[in-house]
Amino acid sequence: MSVSNLLENWSKFRHTHPVDDKGHEDWEAYPSDIKWAMAIDLDACTGCNACSVACYAENNLAVVGKEKYAHGQEMHWMRIERYWGEENGEFHAEQGAQFLPMMCQQCEAAPCETVCPVGATNHTEDGLNSQIYNRCIGSRYCEANCPYKVRYFNWYNYPEQEGAWPSPMEQQLNPDLTVRTKGVMEKCTFCKQRTYVARNNARNEGREVADGEVQTACQQACPTGAISFGNLHDPASKVAKQWAQQGVDINKDKQDKDKEREKIEHQDKEPEKALRGYRILEELRPYPSVMYLERVRDESAV
Amino acid sequence: MNENDFDRRDFLKVLGAGGTAVALSGCGYTSIEDGKETVTSYVTLPSYVIPGISNYFNSTCAQCEAGCNTMVRVREGRALKAEGNANSPINRGKMCGLGQAGVQAHYNPDRVQTPLLKGGKAISWGDALKEIEGRLSGVKGDEIAFVTGTTSGHAQALLGSYMEAVGSKNHFSYEAISPAVVRAANKKAYGVAMPRYRIDKAKVVVSFGADFLGAWVSPVYFSQQYAQFRKGNRPEGRGVLVQVEPKMTLTGANADRWLGIRPGTEGILALGLINALGSAGVKVPADISAAAKDYTPERVGTDTGVPFDQINKLAALLKERTPSLALAGTAAEGYAHGSQNALAIAMLNHVLGNVGKTVEAAAAVPFPQLAPVVGNRASLTALNDGLAANKYKVVFSYGTNPVYSAPAAMKFKDNFGKAGFRVAFAQYLDETALAADLVLPLDSAMEDWATMVPEYMAAPEGGYAEGYAQVSFRQPVMNRLYPDTRSIGDILLALLKQRKPEAYKGFDDFYAYLRGNVLEKKVAFGGSAKDDNDEFWNDVVGKGIVALKGVPGRLSPKPSVSGLALPAPATPDSAYPLRLIPAVSASMRDGRNANEPWLQESPDPLTTIVWDSWVEIHPKTAAKLDIVEGDIVEVASRSGSIKAQAYLFPGIHPDAVSVPVGYGHEAMGRYAKGVGANVFSMLDPVFDKETGELALNETAVKISKTGERVIIVKEEGPVGGSQAGRPRIAVKVPAGKVDLTKEV
Repeated sequence: MSVSNLLENWSKFRHTHPVDDKGHEDWEAYPSDIKWAMAIDLDACTGCNACSVACYAENNLAVVGKEKYAHGQEMHWMRIERYWGEENGEFHAEQGAQFLPMMCQQCEAAPCETVCPVGATNHTEDGLNSQIYNRCIGSRYCEANCPYKVRYFNWYNYPEQEGAWPSPMEQQLNPDLTVRTKGVMEKCTFCKQRTYVARNNARNEGREVADGEVQTACQQACPTGAISFGNLHDPASKVAKQWAQQGVDINKDKQDKDKEREKIEHQDKEPEKALRGYRILEELRPYPSVMYLERVRDESAV
Repeated sequence: MNENDFDRRDFLKVLGAGGTAVALSGCGYTSIEDGKETVTSYVTLPSYVIPGISNYFNSTCAQCEAGCNTMVRVREGRALKAEGNANSPINRGKMCGLGQAGVQAHYNPDRVQTPLLKGGKAISWGDALKEIEGRLSGVKGDEIAFVTGTTSGHAQALLGSYMEAVGSKNHFSYEAISPAVVRAANKKAYGVAMPRYRIDKAKVVVSFGADFLGAWVSPVYFSQQYAQFRKGNRPEGRGVLVQVEPKMTLTGANADRWLGIRPGTEGILALGLINALGSAGVKVPADISAAAKDYTPERVGTDTGVPFDQINKLAALLKERTPSLALAGTAAEGYAHGSQNALAIAMLNHVLGNVGKTVEAAAAVPFPQLAPVVGNRASLTALNDGLAANKYKVVFSYGTNPVYSAPAAMKFKDNFGKAGFRVAFAQYLDETALAADLVLPLDSAMEDWATMVPEYMAAPEGGYAEGYAQVSFRQPVMNRLYPDTRSIGDILLALLKQRKPEAYKGFDDFYAYLRGNVLEKKVAFGGSAKDDNDEFWNDVVGKGIVALKGVPGRLSPKPSVSGLALPAPATPDSAYPLRLIPAVSASMRDGRNANEPWLQESPDPLTTIVWDSWVEIHPKTAAKLDIVEGDIVEVASRSGSIKAQAYLFPGIHPDAVSVPVGYGHEAMGRYAKGVGANVFSMLDPVFDKETGELALNETAVKISKTGERVIIVKEEGPVGGSQAGRPRIAVKVPAGKVDLTKEV
């Protein structure tokens, strides 16, 4: 695909979400009834970092070392954020810490996509925010525009000049995806190499992708099973059931349950027991594809 | 063998970079070079190998003692990723970060590749074995010592045979971090050293410093139980976790309530709870009641620093919600009275009626020679005393690094030097290997055959199986990267052949020994006598787990509280006013995996610091000492000192400071050497009075600023753990305000 083709047919490549995204005609070979999505239960997440290491192992992420880490050049597609309870400007630890696994939220109306000058990041028909490495020119506009700060830029040529994989460590690299080079932006892909294997297998066998057939690396590793992943368009999938049960609709920028709750609170009434599902920075209208379930803490007991 | 019909081992021999290296090395190592077998072209592949498609081989993780069952992804002869074996009762398809970094232990650029003499001169295996034979001649059995980490399975059986053959009883199983005190207390309280805990069945868990989600005993197994425990829609309802410890661990960070207790007073709180439960009408056996009678909530509140109304609330919660579970862990056992602490906590389970409900007896494997010989710290003291008294002429070291992890006050390095001849079996040139006269390179856990029996026997899914025991199998998932490394089994077999050539001449290598031994006990290993040997063996290795009819353990109905007496809380030492808590993190553990870069770059979950040590200080204490984040401080004890960056941390008792263990290697490799400070070195030599275990938390320290300051390299941003006023980033909700019953 040439740049001129890209520019002339811009509207074909740019999709406006949420509702009418049908996908590009070239993709008709693939069924576009897939919308990959995730649910992460923060009450089950223990902050152990297994997901993050699994991501390094699966996605050929470079270890950058202390100095580059200090410069904010770490490459962890999946990170665990840690927060404390706060009161009067002081942290307190009586209820433990709060952990938040954070990776690309695969927004349906992704702020990063609109600013890429070369269309290197755009939406796939299965609802992912893709990054096309060989089209990327390294403007880093997408990184600046991402509200979740989950895009990672290759400031160096890690494999060849920085010795990120000294021999024989390069033998561990996953051959299903590339090792990115200098000047390229990268980020979580929802383990695209795995979803594509599942989709191709399903297509070859003339069936739909079954729920649970594909696991992301982080989900597969998670010792408490806090992460579920699947096709949101398949009402039988676990992830779709979770979203539905929690009253979170991907196409809304404010959920009905939250509107309802605000109304009740406005009348100074005690709201009924709530559901835990929410999306981070939903109010910015990126329509993220990851639903989090609030951490629960039993405050009254002790 | 038919030319076109060769098995996977042969395939691995000729395939992959390692295979190429073997074929070219000309050392006479492979049967291909010996002319016994032929190289088959890549065009003829075993049916299961399709270029571009991965194969998965079941094996067993060797990164810690939990022994999770793995499924390693292999493509074109190269191991790519360790994943969990879904059929494992231990990890049930899951893996922790430490386990996944096992591939980096395998592909590590700093591995030892050939046998080395002191000074780094490479020698052949033949010469190395001859050297050992020569050094052993004329040496009496009790002048030979073998120090290992926790060992089990067929390698342990061979080690046992070897020690018998040389006439030595000096096998020291040493683990710098081990629940040894808790084992002894459990034995007294429950009749079994390592019971099976049912966190998944408990309504309340009160953990006294047991970091079961992070680095305690079998964290991946416990994490799955924890996930069950937290489900709002399980019959018992969502469980409540209360963590009692002076320094917050990963488990403490996940507690509903974290109680930052005064260091060393865990047992006092346990007896205080028993007392409060008695007052609330719970039936307490007379002897336990007598031990607890002086511990009124007011006194316990003063001693422990836990507000006394919280003690009463916790007692009320425990009375109301049964079964519950009390756990004694690393933080509670690390004192001169650690055994007493652990015993008092175990009594809580008796009083609450948890024994038999959430504390179950696990089964043991029916072959005592395969059972784990679990490590502890008392054995290091014994070894060190023997070395100091010049008792040992030849010392073998395998799977442990005492020169690094022994406190400097023990003078272990000097004493190790007194042994006439020291042999280290090592994967890295770590501190102990550097101090040895002969270093023998080990295979990685992706290259060797082994069996493993976990100390903590997990229950298979679907409930409690009384007699369940398992043996896990480790198989080479790819060929050796370096032709001159050997498995511990092969080395032990070679050493045994020096002593008893007749008895072992039938075994060409450890693989033959292992296979022969398993086939001999085919029925006990779950087969039937009619089974075809090859089929049975392939099935065993293919599954990686053999479920056995184990020897069921028995809980003792009557606990022994004899000698349960707790000292008053320690009064602060004016010269060394703070208590040092060495912290064990999930990824760094005791430091043996410090040369795996994923672990160094993986932020510590609580502080988010990478690539360095740090000193956790409570903000109030820091303010008193005029310390701010990033100040390089000197932490000094009577036995030594270290320097590290200060990190202000709310999850620590104001009278304590904490430094992670596992950092500060002087050797080992490019990723470990010189990163951080070694806190083991400065520990005071204080020991648990009953078990003789080194008491990890008994070091009194003082802190002083050095005047230097750095910007800490960490994951969290400039606002630290604050959500900067954003209401819905990481959201927490009170249990009473959320409906969990209908969740999917």
